Amino acid sequence: MWQRETFKKIKQIPREEHVMPGTALCAGCGGLEALRLAAKVLGDHVVYVNAAGCFTMLAAYPYSSFKGSWLYTTMGSAPAGAQGIRDALDVLIAKRRLPKSEDLKVIVLGGDGSTYDMALSATSGAMNRQLDFYYICYDNEAYGNTGMQLSPATPYAARTATSPCSLQHPAATMQEKKDIFEIWRAHRPPYIATVAPRYPLDLEEKFARAATFTGPKMFLALAACPTGWLYDPGATPEVAKLAVETGLWPLKEAVNGVVTHTYIPKRKPVEAYLRLQGRFRHLFEPTVQTDAIRHIQERVDAYWQQAAQEQA
Amino acid sequence: MDSQMMTGNLAAAWGARLADVDYIPAFPITPQTEIVEALAKWCERGEVAATFVSMDSEHSMMTAAGAAEVTGARVFTATSSQGLLHAFEVLYSISGWRAPLVLVNVSRALAAPITLESDHNDVLAARDAGFLQIHAETCQEVLDSILMAYRIAEDERVMLPVIVNLDGFTLSFTREPVSLPDPDMVRRFLPPFRPSHLGFAASSPHALGVAVIGGTSYAYFRHQMHLAAQNALEVHREAADSFHALFGRRYDLVEGYRLEDADDVLVMTNAGASKGKAAVDAARAQGKRGGLLRLRVIRPWPAEAIREALRDRRAVAVLDQNLAPGQGGILYQEVAACLYHEARRPRALCSFIGGLGGQNLSEGEFQAIFEQTAEAGVAGRGLGPVLLYSAEEHREMTHLQMVATGNA
Amino acid sequence: MVAVRFHGRGGQGAKTASRILGTAAFLSGYVAQDSPIYGAERRGAPVAAFTRFSREPIRERGAITYPDVIVVADASLLDDATARVVDGMDDQTVLFVNSSLSTDALRAHLSLPEQMTVRDVTGIALQQLGQREAISALLGAVAARLVGLEWESVRLAITRELQDLAVTAPVIEKNLTVAKQCYDSSGPASLHKGRSQAISVAALHRPIYEPPTKGTARISAAGNSVLRETGGWRTFRPVLFADKCNGCWLCFAYCPDGVIAMNQEDRPVVDYAHCKGCQICVHECPTHALVAEREAEGGVAWTAK
Repeated sequence: MWQRETFKKIKQIPREEHVMPGTALCAGCGGLEALRLAAKVLGDHVVYVNAAGCFTMLAAYPYSSFKGSWLYTTMGSAPAGAQGIRDALDVLIAKRRLPKSEDLKVIVLGGDGSTYDMALSATSGAMNRQLDFYYICYDNEAYGNTGMQLSPATPYAARTATSPCSLQHPAATMQEKKDIFEIWRAHRPPYIATVAPRYPLDLEEKFARAATFTGPKMFLALAACPTGWLYDPGATPEVAKLAVETGLWPLKEAVNGVVTHTYIPKRKPVEAYLRLQGRFRHLFEPTVQTDAIRHIQERVDAYWQQAAQEQA
Repeated sequence: MDSQMMTGNLAAAWGARLADVDYIPAFPITPQTEIVEALAKWCERGEVAATFVSMDSEHSMMTAAGAAEVTGARVFTATSSQGLLHAFEVLYSISGWRAPLVLVNVSRALAAPITLESDHNDVLAARDAGFLQIHAETCQEVLDSILMAYRIAEDERVMLPVIVNLDGFTLSFTREPVSLPDPDMVRRFLPPFRPSHLGFAASSPHALGVAVIGGTSYAYFRHQMHLAAQNALEVHREAADSFHALFGRRYDLVEGYRLEDADDVLVMTNAGASKGKAAVDAARAQGKRGGLLRLRVIRPWPAEAIREALRDRRAVAVLDQNLAPGQGGILYQEVAACLYHEARRPRALCSFIGGLGGQNLSEGEFQAIFEQTAEAGVAGRGLGPVLLYSAEEHREMTHLQMVATGNA
Repeated sequence: MVAVRFHGRGGQGAKTASRILGTAAFLSGYVAQDSPIYGAERRGAPVAAFTRFSREPIRERGAITYPDVIVVADASLLDDATARVVDGMDDQTVLFVNSSLSTDALRAHLSLPEQMTVRDVTGIALQQLGQREAISALLGAVAARLVGLEWESVRLAITRELQDLAVTAPVIEKNLTVAKQCYDSSGPASLHKGRSQAISVAALHRPIYEPPTKGTARISAAGNSVLRETGGWRTFRPVLFADKCNGCWLCFAYCPDGVIAMNQEDRPVVDYAHCKGCQICVHECPTHALVAEREAEGGVAWTAK
């Protein structure tokens, strides 16, 4: 049974903020909440290496939300940027041009568009080279910064600007969400975890655990997105909670490739989660698309069945 | 100073070695690969105190290079052709970060159709990327230009990255004597890299490459890059003086060959200029007063030096080893533009396209160029673009087409 | 030519309102043009959109510098310098403000033009449509009325634009009903035709080289985004009833913007200068100690705490 060792109570969440307010991100952004909580463990001796995405707006001239450093690279190569910074810090420290006390944690920030698509080669390369870095993917299951177009992270039956409902496709996209966790795991980085902002202690604990490993530390954060998923911004925690409680977003980690689920949900019907969001409204109005909903439920059930078998 | 036989690629590697670089991200591509092979070996043996990393693509390689440079390391990397284009968007990022790294490009023609040999469409595609560009004619110049490139790039008045270009095959795999500068003298020529605006560290947090929203900020930063590139004209002169004093070799923005009394001038770049010089000698032997102007620094564009060299000539021919389809020669356009306001400009400006994808430039073709240029000068009317293609090449091509279509 | 500039907050429908007006003018036989400013705008952030129409070809593009009519979808924008609502406004400009405050209250601290209308469109939307943000049809209708377009073309325009956004037929019907009320509640404004601004030769600055510390897109004032206040994004604010608070920290834990701090007594203190009003804290408060109150817009209500 997985247990939190460092973060047992909510009042252990550090009070200090490291991502300062005044950002241009949407009110109620689940991705920002995940980053904010992560930064409480990561601290200020960091350099964020950003890929094109919503978070690009966190450092927009003349304002930066970070007490640490930041480099915007490209959509397809933020992990390579992390490689360059990590290597340069190491060589400068080795040559005594930089005191060890000036060292930084190197953290990639990428949305699902960058992570699942364009930067996959650069990420694979960084993991293969055992780069000592953090990777945080804020996954809002679509190309969000451009107005919600289909990405490989978009789940089955989600309506996006490029996967509309039609007579041919009444349930919108038939694509299944790419399993980036398993793609990462095939590289055997020392640490991978999924997190959700509604579970702050689980999130904080995982960042604390990750700090004990040298090498790639990979995080997949559910970025519940009021703007793109079409729900009231105040419902972000509720949506994130239902993603976890229905089993659609498993909270888990993989230490040197060995997977442990850090929370076993009782598995509410997926309908509870889908109904909250405008991007799935077509599954319920004007008629209920029972086949599509059943398909989603069966995929979740199959996942947890397999997880239980592997656990046993 | 001892001299030894080495290829252009090895000379490039020596340039990086003598510049005492800290970081070399690499990715193989013909005809550049020998450069990173040499550096990998030297790093492994501890002969170069740099970290060498094999990257997953040129796009990643250039990103790592730029990111290391903005962290405060002196960075060297090299690529060619498709690799340069694969990394293309990152070039603009690096110059925008004002990250003064040095990139060697070994020129190779672009696909499709895919080929291996040289022309300049690859490096000239990057002419607006905010990188300075130095194009070398000899293996010695490759090495020396890399040292000069770091000195110019890292100057606070410039702070822009530099591409040093050498031709694939004709320079990259060609050995000739190269004199290795003394490392202590190189240290006198090239001060340590200590940029004021770069260097990620815990005590000096900052954000770089940030978004700017609205044209006011964007235009300001772009103007700064242009002014920095313009400053490089003067900084190059200082570096050239210093290099000459220390090493006895002089490199200016442009190089004139037998220009003093030349009626007609051929304008070229890179290694092909050696053959151009031979063609000048051949023309002179026939009593024609030809000369050659080699453009060495392409960015910043040395407009004043070009005007100075071409003023009062009868005719000028620009031989472009590149082709902008639907337009013609890239350098021809730029030469023409900078002569427009020259009252004593040449009577005729001619454009020739040759040497594409390693296509041979024969002595006879040079002779044809000089003849047509002289006629244009007499007539006072320029010509071109002339697509150089010999009758022999045409015969060979016709045969290949027959084979390809099964009609042989 | 008539030039109408819309100011709103991302999500309020300023862009759609400008399209409704553009389509209505087009259907009325005018040459029309409409465009939004696209940028880093997010839900709640200031946005602008522009509609021009004329009997002659329109030889202007982009932002409207000197509008004939300014439509303000959210009164708090009047106080938000970044929104630049009053740019190019003079005493002949026609101004419409969506606010529950009176004209006098809005005038109290701002010099606003003679022809000014104030309506509580958000109140109407809340009451009749049950949504706080869907006011594009209402704003479009008001703007069309001010510039003298006929209802029939407005009705068609609203229908077309909302259909384009995949709004369902019953909801469009409801919008039309309410939009008609808004349309009827105001009259055509008197627009000063042929107003021309004197153009003088621009004073050009010659750019000079500056050291890379200044000349690079680089921010060395780490964490300075606090200088940018986002409190004006709110239409609702979280308000604490301290006696109900059990000090559980959940509001602090879930606030994405980190604008809730816990004080010595474990009570939340909201940074209203930056709170964007997402209402997560209100949703998650287990004892209902935090409640949402509609912003008293206009003035400096959101910084007054």
